[in-house]
Formats: sequence, structure tokens, C-alpha cells
Amino acid sequence: MRIAALLALPAWLASTVHASPPTQPYDEQLHLAPLPGGNLYAGFSFTATTPLTSYDEQHFRYFPRALGQILQYTHTKELHLRFARGRWDDESWGTRPRGGRREGGTGVEIWAWVERGQEPDLLQERWSGLVNSLSGLFCASLNFIDGAKTSSPVVSFEPEGTHLNLDNLDLLHGTLPNEVVCTENLTPFLKLLPCKGKAGISSLLDGHKIFDANWQTMSIDVRPVCSAPDDCVLEIQQTVDIVLDIQRSMRPRDNPIPRPVPIEKIPCDETKEYNAEDTCYPKKFEGEMFWSLSKVFGQPIQGNCPLAEDGTKSYEIKLEVPFERTVEVITDGNISETKDQSERRYSVPEQQTLDISLPEQVLEVHTAPDARSPFDTPRLYASRQITGYGQQRGGMHAVLTNPQPYAQKIIYLESLPWFLRPFMHTLTFRASSGAEVRPEKMYYTPALDRKRGTQLELQVEVPAHSTVELSYEFEKAILRYTEYPPDANRGFDVPAAVVRVIANTTEADQDAYLRTTSLLLPLPTPDFSMPYNVIILTSTVIALGFGSIFNLLVRRFALASEVPPSPFATKLKAVRDRIRGLVQKAPAAKDGGETKDEKKVKGLNGKRTVDVNRKDL
Amino acid sequence: MMMRGDKTQADVSSSDGQSSITAMAPPPEQPATSNTRRLIILSFWLVVACLGLPHWIWTTSIHRSDLPLESMNDWAEGKSCQPHYPLNIRLHSQSHDSARDAIVAARTETILNSLTDFQLYRFHVAAGNNTVSDVPTQDDVLVVELKQPSKADHVEAKLQSWVPVLDIVHADDDVERLAEFISEQVRSVFADEAKSLSYILGNTPFATGKEAIISPEDRKILEARTTRAFKYASALHLTFSLFTSSATPSAWDIEEALEQYITPLLGPFSAITKFTVDTQVQLQASFSPSIEGPTFDAATGQWKLDNSDLGGFINAAEWPLSPSIGSGPTINFVLYVPSAQQSPLVIAETGGSSWLIPQWGGVQILNSQHLSGRLSAEDLRPIMLTFADQLTSLLGFPQSPPSLSLRISSLTRERATSLIMSASSTLGALSRLTLKLKSIAIPDTVAKSVDETINRLNQACQDLNQGRFSRALQNARIAEDEAEQAFFEPSMVGQVYFPDEHRVAVYVPLLGPMAVPLVMAGAKELIAWVKYLKSPKTKTA
Repeated sequence: MRIAALLALPAWLASTVHASPPTQPYDEQLHLAPLPGGNLYAGFSFTATTPLTSYDEQHFRYFPRALGQILQYTHTKELHLRFARGRWDDESWGTRPRGGRREGGTGVEIWAWVERGQEPDLLQERWSGLVNSLSGLFCASLNFIDGAKTSSPVVSFEPEGTHLNLDNLDLLHGTLPNEVVCTENLTPFLKLLPCKGKAGISSLLDGHKIFDANWQTMSIDVRPVCSAPDDCVLEIQQTVDIVLDIQRSMRPRDNPIPRPVPIEKIPCDETKEYNAEDTCYPKKFEGEMFWSLSKVFGQPIQGNCPLAEDGTKSYEIKLEVPFERTVEVITDGNISETKDQSERRYSVPEQQTLDISLPEQVLEVHTAPDARSPFDTPRLYASRQITGYGQQRGGMHAVLTNPQPYAQKIIYLESLPWFLRPFMHTLTFRASSGAEVRPEKMYYTPALDRKRGTQLELQVEVPAHSTVELSYEFEKAILRYTEYPPDANRGFDVPAAVVRVIANTTEADQDAYLRTTSLLLPLPTPDFSMPYNVIILTSTVIALGFGSIFNLLVRRFALASEVPPSPFATKLKAVRDRIRGLVQKAPAAKDGGETKDEKKVKGLNGKRTVDVNRKDL
Repeated sequence: MMMRGDKTQADVSSSDGQSSITAMAPPPEQPATSNTRRLIILSFWLVVACLGLPHWIWTTSIHRSDLPLESMNDWAEGKSCQPHYPLNIRLHSQSHDSARDAIVAARTETILNSLTDFQLYRFHVAAGNNTVSDVPTQDDVLVVELKQPSKADHVEAKLQSWVPVLDIVHADDDVERLAEFISEQVRSVFADEAKSLSYILGNTPFATGKEAIISPEDRKILEARTTRAFKYASALHLTFSLFTSSATPSAWDIEEALEQYITPLLGPFSAITKFTVDTQVQLQASFSPSIEGPTFDAATGQWKLDNSDLGGFINAAEWPLSPSIGSGPTINFVLYVPSAQQSPLVIAETGGSSWLIPQWGGVQILNSQHLSGRLSAEDLRPIMLTFADQLTSLLGFPQSPPSLSLRISSLTRERATSLIMSASSTLGALSRLTLKLKSIAIPDTVAKSVDETINRLNQACQDLNQGRFSRALQNARIAEDEAEQAFFEPSMVGQVYFPDEHRVAVYVPLLGPMAVPLVMAGAKELIAWVKYLKSPKTKTA
């Protein structure tokens, strides 16, 4: 794979989020780009707008009614919702799509600007109304975002829309790192689209393929966009960004199990000295892989979603491949096509299927590695780990690497669950260059048990070509019995840290976001049968103590010989004597007459009675 | 006391001494020690009985608030309220002869009150002053406007459509005939409502025997009306949806169409119910897989939809017709535009293209050859008129009288009555439930809601019987809401699954070992005491 050739595409950054409001009420875009390692990036974006006046009067056209009513009911002015899975491998794949602004941490992430209202509890009520309604709409456990999982970051997020009364709005942010994003979240997502995944590029979105991806993120962003104070539209942008393993997703559906290739079909590396008829070292794959839309996504595009009002021709598909790459377009309809050095654009035909197929091909190396643009390496690398051992203490360790030749300001946001108690005095920074790093700003909200998590925002400058390590220690809390989930021994998820790379006016014009992976925190877990054992044990101890003290108080103490035989014991003795008499009658009949032995037994019995009574005392 | 105790002890020990052969008799016990022992046992038992047991019961018991079961049952059995409907009718005339008007009024009242169908009503007809006021006062259900005919022998009765005024043109000098004519007209105005009220009240605990007898045909009509209509709610959401099977049309001038055809209808009705209206456009709407789908009829060149498919026509899984947020039910109006290949699409049996789904909404299919991307308000005119018609039947409007304001006032009376009955039966169900499930918790909120329900029901019944119908409706609605809230209190459900056995089982490891020595010691002393009580008798005998 020609990594350099692929990364040389500055188009990665061309994805503009802060664009002027689109003139079309509905617009959809598909961005395809092969990635190194036999992967394919596919970025779907669907943007619909509605005039704010008709939204306020509840006339919905391309804006989904179900979502619109939730936003109106909860007075939410701007919404960002993310469903994500997997990890973007920025070491080999390069810059994140859309500057990382349309992706979330593993699981579900939501942040919104909600109108505060007059009463003090109103904001919380609206927020919980919002997450509960969205939970129902998207079949996700968003309703578990309660006060303890909600934070209000100060500097990490800024509204993307135009808000006339920003002072009345509050930002609330919540994450669910342990939510498993799956098909049941995609179906309601597709239902919000005007063409419902039946026409247009959304017809490629099949749950089987999307959730088989190495990395996928779905986002919904609602924001008001005003070109003039009284000319506002409400914009909803839905995106699906995935990185598919081409080989894996091209497995035929009727034979999905990977099977070994017959040895005759494996190209062998004949330069190896051990190469023989029965030994084969597989040759490394050279050149570009074969892939096509219908093979990778399961079906071709089912015609366009014809919602452009003025009939302007738009190019919905953007394919980023080198100029020399052969691309076959298979369709019966009319399409328009443009082609330049690094990308091609296609329109989707009306009511006709469209398939794009790229055959296997070996390309000449045409780009030298040093011809890379400075932006194909990511703005920043970030990773985070939990350190330490044992059930009580641990440490957090984050590594922020700036590969760029200039210093960058970043904001590092950490929303920790309350049962992870950080010690802020242990917060240390260490730069690889040895220079002293100090946070320029720090916003810290300490946790309240069961009510609020820790929220930490740090503004740090990462020097050029250097690494900053951030670490602090923490203590693990012991939860209450009922607070443990059924799979308590799996560990507890700690949400991803959000890193905002602040736009540098000379080098980049937009903020970029990246998120670390979420972490698994093992907490001390009790034996869950403990409460019953405790009940039984304490009850027994109390009963024992009570019994002995009570007996000491009410019993009369006497010598063993003074104790009268208990009536029960005498009765027992009489019964036993009778049985013994019956048993011994038979031998007596033979011997004739009573023997001395019997008297002996009687005497012994008398002694025993006393013993019994003593025990009874 | 001391002496007696002492004696017993001695007696017992001596008898024991006799029976035992091997054991030596223990030294006689001091009376003080045995008394202390008894006191100890007694105090232990006192603590257990007076402190331990009540405490245990108190901490493990389920909170059950007191409910006014008796008055709840009274309401459920219809003993607390006997609804009747006083109707005030004003008679206006241009005759300047107030004495004659009064006679006509009195005569009309007598005739109306003697009608067998109208036993539920109590008519009060008053002759108004001669100055004709256009606005009827709140108390008057109907104003009868007597007019002189322009030509002789012209007899006419006409209801005004927006105000409850009945214009009668009659020139008869005979008071009796005039009164009969008026009462006949009034009767025709209220006939349907009387039937409907009798239908609501009949066969319920609230029936008083004054109900009119309803013919089976009428009963069928009334049944259809009540099953179709939504239950009364103080807020209703209307959702107008355009579903297109392809991508066109993708827009409609719904705002203008609503303004013209729906808003005028909602205006008068908004006095008793608040409406919110929202609209949506949905493209690429496909049929649900559960229906067979339309079949092409070559003879007529139409696509036919089977009657059996109408119920499953709405593709609930895919069409976003979720109810609106906020209290109150949602009425859906769906306009479906079939694709050009499947057009025209009609219902096989009737050839029509619209139908009504009871308590859900209305559906229409738009078959049109020349569809542009946008449906104009003119295109929507017939559709909106059908939707308006469906809306009236979904709201439960009676079919007659023709005057809208009279229909709304009849609806007010019907709805108030049915709400009172529904709230009462909920109370009855709640009282039966609490009696049947002894271990169910009854939180204070339930008791509060029940009190509020009964209070509101009393007020509603009073209002009804005094002719303040819209206030009666308001009170009845609050009563119904409170009763439902009490019945569906979520915290009542959980306790059902925690029976008494569990409560005891948890404490057995503690209570068992503690009870054994307590019971044994108590029993021993008790036996000794019983023996002592018996011993003097044996001695005297």
C-alpha cells in the first residue's frame, strides 16, 4: 500500500463543519478513501435544514418530527449525540475524519445546550427528560445518564450554532462508556433520514456491515444556523463514519466463515531458500486491493434521494484514489463525474442502482515520502492508561504527543465516575524535552459520592515535537451492595478523556478533537452472598449470647446428685426398660430366672439418668 | 402472695423427693430467689411482647393509608350521585305581550317535562325580555327566538349554526298549538342527546330508571360512536402526516390548509380541550409486510386494497407515528400518496379512499394524475374537509343537531357524565383491589388522590345537577385524572411480590434460637403455677 500517496491528500481537513448554512434543505455526501492495511474509510453525511419558524410551529419536513418534538419539549437548543465503537488507528490511518468533531468516545456520548429556565430544578428536569426521551428514540440506555454521570465542561466545548441568548443556555455533557452500540441504534438513526435508508447513499447502511467495522461512529448534531438575526434555520447533521476491513467485509454472505485458501492459490515467495513444492512462504500482497461498493456494503446504491429543490446537480460521492487508479462505474442511469489528481466525484443516478468497482492494480510509486503535507500526520496523539495494582489505589497516566513542528494548546477534559477518587495533589506533568510544563488553566469540580463525578479540565501547551505525560493517583471507592452491576467482576468503565486541540491561527483554522480509549477499572468486589451469611452469622451469635445470659439469669443451680430426674427422662427410662424386658424375655425363657446382669444394667441406668439431668441443667 | 409461693415450692419439692429414689432432694429454694426468677422471666416476656414484637411488626409492615372505602363503594355503586340535567331555555319574542309569552313558556315547559324520553332532563322555560340580546347568557342552553312570519301560514324552525339559538317563525294565535310546536322543535334538538345520555347511563349503577328506551338500531349507532371517539382529555395533539411511497410529493402547503379548514373547527371546541397541531412529511413509506398489499384489477384499471388490509395499512414499525410528547393522546391523520405504478389505489369493497381507525385517527389515499413536488392548498382542500369530518367523529361529536355550539354543549354533558362514571368505577376497582390484596402498600399519595377524586366527583355531580355543565366537565376530568393516578400508583405494585413468608424467613435464624429458652422457661414457670393453683383444691378435697 502506498501510505504516503494516501496520506498526501489534504482533503481530510477540507471537511468543514463551520460552513455557511447550506442552500439546499437536504444534502447527502459519501466520502470513500482506502486506508493503509487493507481498510476502507467511508464517511456518510446527511444534512437537513428547516426554517426555525416552521420548526417552532411544529411543521416538520426534512427535520424528523420525533426528534424535533423532544428538543422542543426539553428546551434543547443544540444537541450533539454520538454512538461509537472501536479505535481510530491514527498511527497508520492519519488525521481523523472531520477533525474528530463528529466522533465520540466508546459507547454513547451526548452533550447539549439546554435553556436554564427560571426555577432551580428545571434544568435538571429538562436534561433528564431529554436523555430519557432520546433513550426511547434510539433504543439506547441513555436514561442511565443521571446526575452522577453528567458534567458541565467549561472550556472543552463551544456551541457550533448561532444562539441569540447564550447566557440562558447551559451545557450538559454525559457519557455511557459501557453501552454497546449495535443495529438497534442504527435502525432509529436511519428512520430519521428523509429517504430512510431506502434510496440514496443511505441504502448502503446495513447493520451487518457497519458494526463489523474496525471503527465506527454515528453522530447527530442539531444546531441553529442564522445568516441574519431573523433568518434562521435549524440544521440537523447525521454522520456515519466507518473504517471497514475490505477483506473481511467482502466475505460472501452465504459463506461468512473464513477458510484457508488452497495452497495452489497462494502466491509463494520463491526467493526464499526453503521454497519447495510442499513449503510456501506467502508473498506479501503488492498493489491495490480489489473492492466494490456492492461487495463491501452488501448492495449497490439504490438510486438517489431526489430532494434537491432547484434541480441542481450535486456530486454525492467523493472517492479519494490516485489519478492512475482504474475505477469502473456500473450503472444503467445517467451520472456525472469529475476527476482530478487525487479525487473523483460522482452523482447518483435517479432510480437506478450505482456500483463502483476498483480492480486489483499495481500502481507506480509516484509520490516521494517527503512530499507529504504537514497535515497528514495527526495534530496530536493521545493515549491514557490506568497504572498501579491492588484493590485500593491506582494511577492515571496520559500521554500527549505533539508531532507537529509548532507548539499546540490543548484542553484535556476528564469526567471521572465518582467511585474513582483522584488526588489532585499528585497531578504531575512531565515533558519529554525536559522543559517544565504547567497547566495554564485548570477547572476542577471534585466528586460527591453518588451525586456527581469528578470533572477536570486542563489547558496545557504541548511543545513542538515533544510528549507531555500527565499523571495522578486515585483511590477506588467501595460501592454499596446494590450498586454493583450483575457483571461486577468485569470492571467498571471509565469514559474517554476528550482532548480539544485549539485552533492555531497560523497553522490550522479549526479546533480538532480526539478522544482516548475508555478504560476498564477493576473495583474491589465483594462476595455477593455476604449479606445472607452476615444475617445468619450475627443472628446465631446474638441468639447464643442471649440464650446463655438468659439461662444464667433464670436457672437454679444445684449439685448433680440433688437434681430430680426430669419426668421426660423417667418416662424414657420406663419405655426403654420395657423394651429391654421384652428383648430379654426370650433368653430368660431359655435360661430361666433373672440374672445379676439385669440388676447391673438397672444400676447403670440410674447413674445415667443423673447425667442426663445434669446436662438438662 | 409470698406465703403462697413459698408453700408451692415446698410442695413440689417434697413430691419430687418422694418420686425420686436415687437423687437427693435439693435444698429448699429461698422464696426471694424464686420470685426474682419469675420477675426476670416476666420482664423478659414483657420486653418481648411490649417492645420487641410491636417494633418488629412496625418496621417490617407495609404502609397502608386509610382509604374512605365506604364512600368509594358508594360512588362505584352509584349511590352518591343521581345525575339529572336541568336545561334552561329562554323564549324571546317580538310580540310585546309578556303575559302571553309567559303562558307559552309555562305550557312549553309542562309539555317538555312530561315527555317520557326526556325524564333525565328537567326543563325550565322562561320568557325573556323583549329586547333581543344576541348573546345568550351562560345559564341558557337554548334560546328560542319567536318571529312573526312575513306571510301568513308560514311555519319554520331553524337552528343557527354558531350560537345556540333556535329561530321559530310561527304566527299561530293559539297558545297551546304554539307551545306544542315549540316543544316539538326543542324535542328534536335534544332527542339524540337524550338517547346518548340514556345509553351512557343505562345498565350502569347510575341508572335511575328514567332513561329512555333505546332501539337496537340506535344502540348500534351509539356504540359505534363511543368506540370511535377518543376518551375526553384536556389536551389533544393532532398530527397531520404526508406519507409518500416514492420521493414526490415531498412538500405540502399544510400551514395554509390547516388555517383554512381545521382551525375554524378547533376554535369553538378549544373551550373544553386544548389542541396542539404538528405536521410532518415522510418519504419512501412502504407497506407493512403483514398485509397482502394492493392487487391490480384489470377491469377497472385500479389497484384494490382489501378490507382486511385496512387495519394493517399503517406500518407501525417503520412509519414514525409515535405519539407526541406531553400529556394527552395524539390523533393521527395520514395522507398517503401511492407511487405512480400503484395508482389509483382504492378500497376494494367501496371504491373509497379514506377510512377511520377508531381511537387512533384517519387515513386517506390521494390518487391524482398530475402531482407536482408540492401539494398546494387547493389540492389539499378535499383532503382537509375529509380530515375535519373524521376529526369530529374522533372527538365524539353527535351527528345532530346541526348547530355546532349545541353539539359542543351536548358533548360537554355526555363527557361529564361518562367521566363521572369512569372515575367512580375506578374508585370501586381500587377499593376491591385493596381489600383483596392485603399485603399491598397504599402510599399516602393514593389516599390523597382518592380524597381529591371524591371531592371533585361531589362537585361535578352538584354542578351537573345545577346546570353548570362546563364546570362539571372540568371537575369530572380532574376526578378522573386523580382516580387513574391513584389506581396506577407505581409504588403499589412492587410490594405485591414481597409476601409475609419472606419477612418471617429472614428473621428465623434470630428469632428461633431466642424463642426456645424464652418459651421453655416461661412454660416451666407456667406449669409450676398451674400445679400450685391445683394443689390447694386437692388438699381441701
